[in-house]
Parts: sequence; structure tokens; C-alpha cells
Amino acid sequence: MAVVAVDQQHGPARRSARRQGQHHLQSLVFLVPGAVLLLAIVIWPAIATIRYSFYNATATKAVGLSNYKSLFSTADTLIAFRNNVIWVLVFPFIVTVIGLVFAVLSEHIRWATAFKIVIFLPIVFSVTASSLVFTQIFQLDPHVGVMNAIVQTVEDYFHPPGAYPLSAGQTAASLATSGVVAGPNGTLESGLEVRAGGTVRMGLTGVNPDTLTVLGARPARLPTPSAGAVTGLVWRDFSVSNPSNVSGVLPGEDGFPNLHLALLRSDGSIAATTTTDAFGRFIFSNVGAGPFHIQIQASNFTQGFSGTFWLGPQSLTPTSSLSQTAQALLSVPLIDISMILAYLWIWAGFTMVIVAAGLAALDREAQEAAHVDGATEWQTFRRVTIPMLAPVLTVVFVTMVINVLKIFDIVVNLGIDTSQPGGQSSTLASDVYYLGFGGGVHTGLASALAVMLFILVLPAMLFNLKRISGK
Amino acid sequence: MRPTLRGGGNTMSQARAVLSVSGRHKLFSVAALAGLLALAASMVPAGVSTASPALGHIGGSVSLWAEWTGPEQRDFQAVLSPFESETGVTINYSSKGSNMDTAIDAAVAGGAPPQVALVPDPGTLLTLAKKGAIEPLAPVIGSEASDYGAAWNNLVTYNGKLYGVWFKGANKNTIWYNPAEFAMAGLKSTPTTWQQLLADAATLKRAGVTPFSLCTDIGWPVADLWQNVYLKTAGATDYDALAAHNIPWTGPTVTTAFDTLAQLVGQPSYLLGGTKGSLSNSYPTCADKVFPKPGTMPQAAMVIEADFVVNEIVGNSANYTAGTIGAGGKKCTANPADTPCYDFFPFPAPAADQMNNSAIQGSGDVAMLFKPTAAAKAVVKYLGSPEAGAIWAHLGGFASPNKMVPLTSYPDPVTEADASELQHATGFVFSLDDLQGSWEPSLWQDMLNFVKNPSATNIASIQKTMQAQATAAMGH
Repeated sequence: MAVVAVDQQHGPARRSARRQGQHHLQSLVFLVPGAVLLLAIVIWPAIATIRYSFYNATATKAVGLSNYKSLFSTADTLIAFRNNVIWVLVFPFIVTVIGLVFAVLSEHIRWATAFKIVIFLPIVFSVTASSLVFTQIFQLDPHVGVMNAIVQTVEDYFHPPGAYPLSAGQTAASLATSGVVAGPNGTLESGLEVRAGGTVRMGLTGVNPDTLTVLGARPARLPTPSAGAVTGLVWRDFSVSNPSNVSGVLPGEDGFPNLHLALLRSDGSIAATTTTDAFGRFIFSNVGAGPFHIQIQASNFTQGFSGTFWLGPQSLTPTSSLSQTAQALLSVPLIDISMILAYLWIWAGFTMVIVAAGLAALDREAQEAAHVDGATEWQTFRRVTIPMLAPVLTVVFVTMVINVLKIFDIVVNLGIDTSQPGGQSSTLASDVYYLGFGGGVHTGLASALAVMLFILVLPAMLFNLKRISGK
Repeated sequence: MRPTLRGGGNTMSQARAVLSVSGRHKLFSVAALAGLLALAASMVPAGVSTASPALGHIGGSVSLWAEWTGPEQRDFQAVLSPFESETGVTINYSSKGSNMDTAIDAAVAGGAPPQVALVPDPGTLLTLAKKGAIEPLAPVIGSEASDYGAAWNNLVTYNGKLYGVWFKGANKNTIWYNPAEFAMAGLKSTPTTWQQLLADAATLKRAGVTPFSLCTDIGWPVADLWQNVYLKTAGATDYDALAAHNIPWTGPTVTTAFDTLAQLVGQPSYLLGGTKGSLSNSYPTCADKVFPKPGTMPQAAMVIEADFVVNEIVGNSANYTAGTIGAGGKKCTANPADTPCYDFFPFPAPAADQMNNSAIQGSGDVAMLFKPTAAAKAVVKYLGSPEAGAIWAHLGGFASPNKMVPLTSYPDPVTEADASELQHATGFVFSLDDLQGSWEPSLWQDMLNFVKNPSATNIASIQKTMQAQATAAMGH
């Protein structure tokens, strides 16, 4: 068509009708291969899809609009809609802003090309490869997952874990075995009162022998009583050869080293503090009359940060009296946010390059004029550069809206378990795939979803086409 | 379980397996082939010197579909190659991965099914038998059908005719434990009752060892676990009745199963990561926490999973030895870099329900015949023969439901015990959730809901929900 248009504009006015006809024929011949391909792999499948969307699961019987009705009535597809809404609301805006920031920054730094290459690099990797990388980054174990390693470093700085961190679901009270009772606020206390010159034995279980080995524990040994002092032993009261014996200090039972203890007066105030040695022994010297209790402080059992499951089932859910379905539809799953983070890493370079091209094409006179008039860098950026860039930013934004409306690859790769229909991170496109080609195939519903997706993309697409052809 | 809809972990590990094999493949393919042929010839047990004495030269070719890829495909082809050289039949093996059911459906609809296929799901086989798409096998395998337990044959019988021959079985009636962790708690034997299992868990806890690493980030492993408990408390007859929804989900046997399992999942300190951690523990990571790679230490003593977990364990380190004695006769160590071990014990029934102990939940691959050519019939007959099973049994990672496959074919006592369970099962049931049709995903959600809150009131409300969902989906 373009050939014809050019001819009409620039061709000599007195060209004969015959030549004109030849040209039409010629261009038709050139159009045929493309048109045939387009017909075979775009138009015909599109029409078939529309037709199938009115058919049942096996595409054998027409069912009218029932597929479209179930699109809006089944919780599974509503979850997919919700996720698409989250993607569209969050991703295009942020990726456009990041692209803008990077583009502007790259104009102001040295090694701008190197910077641009590094930011642009992720776009050349396949999304599957990037997803594999991010599966590792989001791993639960902070030794593997970089995200959790970062959180752990910060978290442990503010809340250092104790030497004997409790495992999940374990309470300090459950460790108390012989001569120990639960105290207030996660502490443990000796069961009996003790006075100067006395000795206390406190047996704990529920701690792994490896934990003690790492802390340099030695076989438990009772301390020698000493006049004017309270002495004692804290040991692992679990014997492999005799698991049911929970009273005496048996061979093979280790002391608890480096345990923080306090000497409590009868009014509950702290008289002194100390720590146990490698054999689990402790001594409070020159303590006065007493009576006292020994307290094992709660800080010994503080748990460290064990990781957030970035690709896991947590979500921001409205806690109200809403129905379960409504709650599900209004919640924002963490996995969506994690996927958006990964996708930002992939696409930020692309938007940066487009915006940078827009920046390079700008007429700098307006900016210079603003500077001359005394505008600050920020004012120039905000009042001059951004308005002038607006057309480019709009195209980038709309392209990204289209991009995430049909978001599929990262969803399926990062959320293998959760992108199945009804899964927490499923989207319209992943539903189309799984319903159309996964297990439990429903051709009709999948086609209806595909048509729905097309209708949703259509306005954004037309907008972009109009913008491009308008130029 | 249906691999198509489930277990991302599975898919990932399969993908990994495929990657690692294709990497090695180039280097070793020639050597491996030669080696396998030699192995197949030399390791077939005494008295079974040829593939099948009854078969002479047949010739021709047979198309064969199954789900195996990667190392499993290599092992399966080692099973086929003696048959091929014996009979001159060329077998065109094609792997359909986890899309077996879809691929077969499409091929049957398109009128070009393979001549022989192995499916991981007797439901598919029965559907095809109903359509008349596959051949009855009585004339093909004859009396050799009795090599399989009645529980197995019943699953592939339609209208009184046998339509399938079982080749590979998987046992879900297993709890895998790290012997070194048990030793750390002074446990000298494995539990044989549910009550003993809970008591041992308490002892492990006192020793500072977390008893269980549950694989419960998504619903199907919880469903498998619950189905084990239901089978052990209610028995195989009730299990089948519930699967067909002839017993209501609000019934007392269902309540009992939930209450029994609540004794375990209701103890967060027994679970690695507590309740919250369990809900983010995915397969196969959950198994790695009991049988880790060198460089990390075990974090729990037991993982409740099917026997295919062995692939993951030995994949983590070649150091892992089957049984309770480490490599070189040394003590089993918790440290996977030394002499770690793995072993299993059967999922125990409560003391009062010991009669259900030999009913097991599992799955398997069953061979069926689409086109009764001489060569195709010979292939099916061969797959049902003990000789074929024995070849893969030697290679490991395989258990045959065929009673005539000698238990001595298995490479270690653990696989042998696993296969022995399969062969002697008095009741054999497939995953109940896979028989639920459209409400299966809802069932999984209900099971997760139970793990989140296993209180009596929540159990009652879950049962009501499940009853409503089952009635709506199954029409009765």
C-alpha cells in the first residue's frame, strides 16, 4: 500500500490509467506472500478462537455465551483479572519512571555508555533465564537467596539472635526438663530456691547436639560448691543411650556453654548476672544471704531472621468481615510484587533507551532558556523536560501496559506452582495457556479468555497506532 | 497424583535431570550404550539368560509412548534393547513427558495413536477401554496376568476384561528418615504404629531434632498425606467409596482421619519451620532438608513422601547409602560429606487399625495395546515379563508390581523392601484427589486450610465445605 501512496503523491499527474493498473497488479503480487502468511497464522486462528469461545470444553458443542458468563463468575478467572489489574496499575508507571530517571542520569555521568549497556543487558537474556536467576535470588534460605541475605544482615544488626535460637513452633518453656520451670516473658527459672553455698542443677532438652558442639560444649560437670557463692550447672539432659532418663547428669550429656544467666532476689529483681563455661558451670560469688532463683534469660533463645518466602503464599489481605472471595480478590500477593521486581530489572533498560532517544532528539533551546531565566535543575526538569518528553513517555507507558496485560512468561517461570488456574499469581494469559493446553483442558473457556484479553489490549493498541500514524 | 497439573518442584527437578543428562550425554553416549548392553546381558539374574525364550525373530517396528525422559528414558531403553536384538523388532520410543494423557487423547481423536503406550493413570486406560480404543490383553499375556496381585489387575479391568499390564510402580506408603538423626535421639527401631510415630517424634524433639519436614506449600502433598491417613484408618473399601463420593465428606471416617492427622500437623514444634514454614516448604526442597547436599546439615529427621524421593536423595550426593549402615560399613553420619544414609519405614496405621497396614497408596505406569500387530503384542508381553522388570530393577530407581521379578534383582535392601511392599499389597489405591474431577483444586485448598488451622471446629467446617463441593462437582 505504501508504494501506491507514494506514487500517488509524487508520480506525474499525466500517468496513464494502464500504467496505474500495472502498478496495482505489481503491488498485489508483492502483497500476496505476506497476506497469505497473515491470513494463515494470524487472521484464521483469531477467527477460530472467537468461534471456539462459544463452544464447550472439547470444542464439540456450541454453548452460546456460557463461557463468557463463567469468566466473570468463577473465582479462578477473577483471581487472574485481579493479578492483571495489579500488574497494570503498578508496573508500567514504575518502569516508565525508572527509565526516565536512568535516561536523565546517563546524560549527567561519565561512562554513560557503559552504564547504559549494563542496564540494558537484561533485555537480551531470555525471560526464562532471568526467571531462573530470580528463583535463586528469592530463595528462602538466606545462604542462597540474595534478597533474604540483605534482609537478614539488616535484621540481625538490630535484633541479634541468641546462642540457642528456638526453632519455629518451639517455646522456651518446652526446653525445661529437670529442675527448671518457665519464667515470665520467655525466661526459664530454677525450680528450687538456692542460698549462698548452694548448688543448682538445671536440665534442658530440645537443643540439637550440633548447636552445642559449635559452641564448644564439653561433657557436663558439676561445679564444686563454694562458701558465700551460688554455683550450678545447666546441661543437656538427654542421653542417647537412655532417652527416657531425665534426672541425673549421665555420661555423654554436654553442658550448655555461653548461656546468659541472672541471679534473682525473692522480689524478682536482678542481683547479679553471669554466663556459663564450656562445661555448663556457673558461679555467682559473694551473693549475700538469699534466697535466690537462677534465671536463664530470654535473649539466649531469640530467633534469628529465617527468611521471607518471596515467592510464597503470603499476601496483603484486607482483614475485615468480607467474604472469602472478596478477600481473595482484594489481596495483593507478595509473589506478584516479587515478579514485578524481577520484571523491572528486565525492562528498565528498554524504557531507558527509548526515553534517552527521546531526550537526545529534544530541542535544547527551551532548557537553556529556562536556565537563563534562573530556573533550577529540578524546575527545568519538571516544567520543561518532562512536558516536552510527554509524547515519548506516553508511548513507553502504553507499550508497557500492553506488555503486562498479556504478561505470561515470567508468571509461568517464577510461579510454577502458583500460576495454575486459580493459583495466587495466575494471569489471564497463563490461564489461557493452562486451560488451553495444560491438564484439564477447556478449549472453550481458554478461547473466551483469549478473546477477553484481546478486547482489553485493543484500546491501548489503537491508542499507540494512532499516535504513531499521527506523527 | 497427575504430573500434568501438579508439582512445580517436580517439573523443575525433571528439567534439571534432563539438563544434566543431555550435558553428559555427548561425552558418554557411546560408552553408556555399550555399557548398558553389557549390563543388561550380564546382570539379568541366573536362569534368565535371554530376554524371553518364547520369542523368536519377529521383525517389523512398534511405536511406543511413555512419560520417561532423561535418566529414566535411558533406563527404559536399556529394558527394551535386549528385546529388540532378540526379536529384530525396532521400537520407536517417544517420550511425552508429563503430557501423556493429553497426548494420548489427541492421538486417539486424530486416529493415529501409538501401537503401545504406558500411562501413569489407570483412569485414562479405563476411558480408552470404554471407547474401544485399546485391545483386551487376555489373549496376549494369558496366565501371566496372575503374576500381579488382584489389587493391581482390578484397577485395569473393564467389563471383566483385562486391558493393562503394570510395568512400573510407585509407593506412596513410605516415610523416609535419616538414620543418623534417629540415632541422635537414641531411637533404635522405626515405628510400626501411628502412636509410636508420634512418641518417637516427641523423643526426637527432646533431643533437639525437628521430627518432620512436611512438603506442604501446595495442596496435593497434603492430600497425599491425608489419603495415607484415611487409608490406614478407614481401610481400602471405604477409601474407594469416598473416592466415588458414596461416603459423605461429613462422615465419621473422614473426621477420624482429620483428627488423626491433626495429632501431627497440630504440633507446630514437630514441623520444620512450624506451621508457617511448612506452608512454604516445597517438594523437593522438603526432602533436601532431611537429606541435604554436602555443605549443609540435616534440619529434620523425616520426610513423608513417595519412593520417588530416592532420586532426589541420591542426586544430592552419591555418598548416600541405602539402609542403616553407612558406606564402607561405617556409622551413618548426619554430615552428608561423610557416610550419610537413607531408609524408609511403611506409613504406620494406628494401633487399632493394624489390619489396614498392607493397604497402600501409590501410582504406576501401565502398558496398553492400541494395535494388535504381532510385534506390538510381543512388546506388551515382554513388558509384563519378569525379565523386563528385572533389568530396570538392577539399574535402580524402579519398583515392579510384578511378583515374579525376583527381589534379589534390586540393588539395595531399601529398594527391595519398597518393591516387596508393592508386590504384597492387599489393597492398592490411587490418589483419591485425582478421581475428583473439577473440584480437585478446591480439595487441595481445603487441605491447606486444614494445615493452617487443624482445630476441631475448623475440621468440622472444612468437612461441610468439602461435602458441598463434592456434591456440586460429582452430582450426588
